[in-house]
Amino acid sequence: MLKKENSQFVEISNLVKEYPNPYGDDFRVVEDFNLKIKAGEFISLIGHSGCGKSTVLTMLAGLNEISGGGIIVGNKEIDGPAPDRAVVFQAPCLMPWMSAFDNVMLGVKNVYPHVSKQERIQIVEYALSVVGLGDEMKKYPREMSGGMQQRVGIARAIALQPRVLLLDEPFGRLDSLTRMELQDVIIEILAKEKLTAMIVTHDVDEAVFMADRCVMMSNGPKAGVGEILEIDFPRPRNRKEVFDDPNFFACREHLLAFLEQRSHIKGDPRVFANGKTLGFMDKEVVEELRQKHEIV
Amino acid sequence: MLTLISTIIIMKKIKYSLLKAIDITGLTFLAPVVRLCYGEEPQVQFKKIGQWIIVPLIAVFIALFVIYDGFIVDTFKTKSGKLPTSSKIYSSYKSIDQLHDDEIAKEKAYNLSGEERVEELKVVEEKITSAEKSLEEASKAVEDQTLVSKAETAKDVAPIQAEYDELKESVKAASAARDVEMKLLAESITPGDEAAAQKLLGLVRADDAQDTLDKEKRNLTKEKINLILTKKSPALQKRKAEETYFSERLAFLKTYKTLLSTQNKSLIIDEKKEKIATYEKELASLSGADALKKAKSIVNQESVISKKEESEYAGSKTIWYQVKRSVLCVFTGFFLGSFLAIPIGIFCGLNKTFMAMMTPFIAIFKPVSPIVWLPIILILVMGAFPNPDKHPFMEFLGELPLLGVYKINPAFIASAITVALCSLWATMANTALGVASIDKDHMNVARVLKLGFFARLTKIIIPSSLPLIFAGLRISLGVGWMVLIAAELLSSSEGIGKFVFDEFNNGSSDSLAKMVVVVFIVGIIGLILDRIMVIFQRLVSFEGAPATI
Repeated sequence: MLKKENSQFVEISNLVKEYPNPYGDDFRVVEDFNLKIKAGEFISLIGHSGCGKSTVLTMLAGLNEISGGGIIVGNKEIDGPAPDRAVVFQAPCLMPWMSAFDNVMLGVKNVYPHVSKQERIQIVEYALSVVGLGDEMKKYPREMSGGMQQRVGIARAIALQPRVLLLDEPFGRLDSLTRMELQDVIIEILAKEKLTAMIVTHDVDEAVFMADRCVMMSNGPKAGVGEILEIDFPRPRNRKEVFDDPNFFACREHLLAFLEQRSHIKGDPRVFANGKTLGFMDKEVVEELRQKHEIV
Repeated sequence: MLTLISTIIIMKKIKYSLLKAIDITGLTFLAPVVRLCYGEEPQVQFKKIGQWIIVPLIAVFIALFVIYDGFIVDTFKTKSGKLPTSSKIYSSYKSIDQLHDDEIAKEKAYNLSGEERVEELKVVEEKITSAEKSLEEASKAVEDQTLVSKAETAKDVAPIQAEYDELKESVKAASAARDVEMKLLAESITPGDEAAAQKLLGLVRADDAQDTLDKEKRNLTKEKINLILTKKSPALQKRKAEETYFSERLAFLKTYKTLLSTQNKSLIIDEKKEKIATYEKELASLSGADALKKAKSIVNQESVISKKEESEYAGSKTIWYQVKRSVLCVFTGFFLGSFLAIPIGIFCGLNKTFMAMMTPFIAIFKPVSPIVWLPIILILVMGAFPNPDKHPFMEFLGELPLLGVYKINPAFIASAITVALCSLWATMANTALGVASIDKDHMNVARVLKLGFFARLTKIIIPSSLPLIFAGLRISLGVGWMVLIAAELLSSSEGIGKFVFDEFNNGSSDSLAKMVVVVFIVGIIGLILDRIMVIFQRLVSFEGAPATI
């Protein structure tokens, strides 16, 4: 389906992030973080607070300096931020002095310098209508709810027509209803635009429902990939169907079990899928898991 | 029915826009009045009106009429008499204001010509006759009142005077009696009688002491009389004030008349033209040296006419003219300062190295007083315009449509630059702070969108620091207004500061009252300037803007 050279679209290898420590060795937040992401794949990154999930994402976005290792996006090592990797921040980060339309236009003007004004307007209007704000383009951030503001944030990201969409706890500040709505919006957009995406989240349901693969990060410092869970519910995903699927609960339980019991273990990532273990390291742990999930 | 509904809707709209205007200008004490007019929770509104309108008014009333008029005025005395009471201050304000109207009328009269002038002259002559009548009446009233007051005073003084006379007599008699006694004793003393000598000495001492005592007693009574004599009767003072008022009005009307007649511009020019016409006739019949002389005097008259035609009425500068000139000057300085401060502030906020470069200048120049800047700048400006009347730049400023009237001169420019130098620091510091404290997320967005420097500046940096910039501008304008008054006082640039200094040097009886009037004028204008800046600050600020004071 996908071209071969694109099969490993994003490659994160031996990624290190360290902060200087005046009274000793540099403080390593992230160490030896390795991950390969296929084109069009949706990765969710989950882990305890402060383990470095957002650090990894911001390094991928180019907003955070890389202390060691490297990140390749589309056969090119990244060097700072670029519009091909759009970010949706936790806070909507809209310019309060600009209307929704102008906020989206801000980036479009820069990314498409040679496009006519009319076309730019079309791009912005399309992006806003995709997130369901077609009728509220003239509104200012102060006139919009948190959910609507975040929609503008998403529109601003996709208007750049990026190759990678990075979501940094995008729904962290929203109530659960709005959160669900926006999750559906993102899933729809990804299905339409065929983007590669990464979402950092605290929410286990969100991590399972949205992603193709869930990357569980071990605890910091020196955090890395703990386990990886393959999630292969069919796409386009329907919330009710997915939530009714018994495998959904198995995946959910797996993540919770990791977060509660094994998040201190870092090693070669053990990969699980639909509640079934594909490969493993620690016999005891796996045995326990099998009994829990009644895997024979 | 329909019109009723639409009226209600319009009334509601007016209400909300009024409330919004009140909110933006920060005049929140007016909001309950508007709400009360619309009958919204009257009790709550009355309570708020009481708290924010009635209570402050009572405080002002107490401070002015009870504490100031009641105690302070009587306690402090100046060289030129008591401090002015609040009513005196108010009447000074009226007279300053009257002077302004008079000057405008005079200028109009000077430029009036033709039929209008003749008619105005008639009106004025009528006014003068009536004013003379009033003055006569007032003088008469003063005379009458003087007599009445004198009689009253005499009546008051009479019993004390009698007491005084009596005292004087009795003291005199007692003193004479003591003298006789002493004389007798002195004559009866035989040389060598120690006891008798001592007795005489005692008598003389007692006499001396009694004399001093009597003198004190007499002085005390005399002082009482003097007090009554010097006490001015309020009725008489009132009459005298009326007399002064009418005589001043009459003086004004007489000047007004001369400006309409003998000193009128068109009249003088006409006169000269007639003269030229007669000269020309005479010239035709003359020859030799006489003809040359006549011709020269014709040319001379012609040049006088052209000068007169350009001339303007040269009256004294009135308070409102000076207020306008001061406001113009403060805004000139303010814009000059902001023009420097905002770009420098932005660069300071953007670049730490630039900030480090600027720090010593800011640290050293910021605390320098306007009193130090002004003479230096005055010398520099004077140096730049050695002959200001002929300088092309000054001539250009003089010909500007609206500003020309204010006669911008080196003193004005020096004052404005002093204002700029003293006021720009607040704007600079606030701009630097605003730029440096931009939300990191916003900058991250700019990085992700790969905005260029210019786009970052105009789309993100300046808009997000505008609220703080305007907070700085507001402080700057306040500082500038304070500095300006001092600068004008020193540089003699026509303005409020000069008005105060002139009154200080004038030292007449109502100078102090006029200076107090200026206190209020300066305060109220400062308040208005501040409100204007608050409105701007509110208009540019957005939700979550940092530190809107």
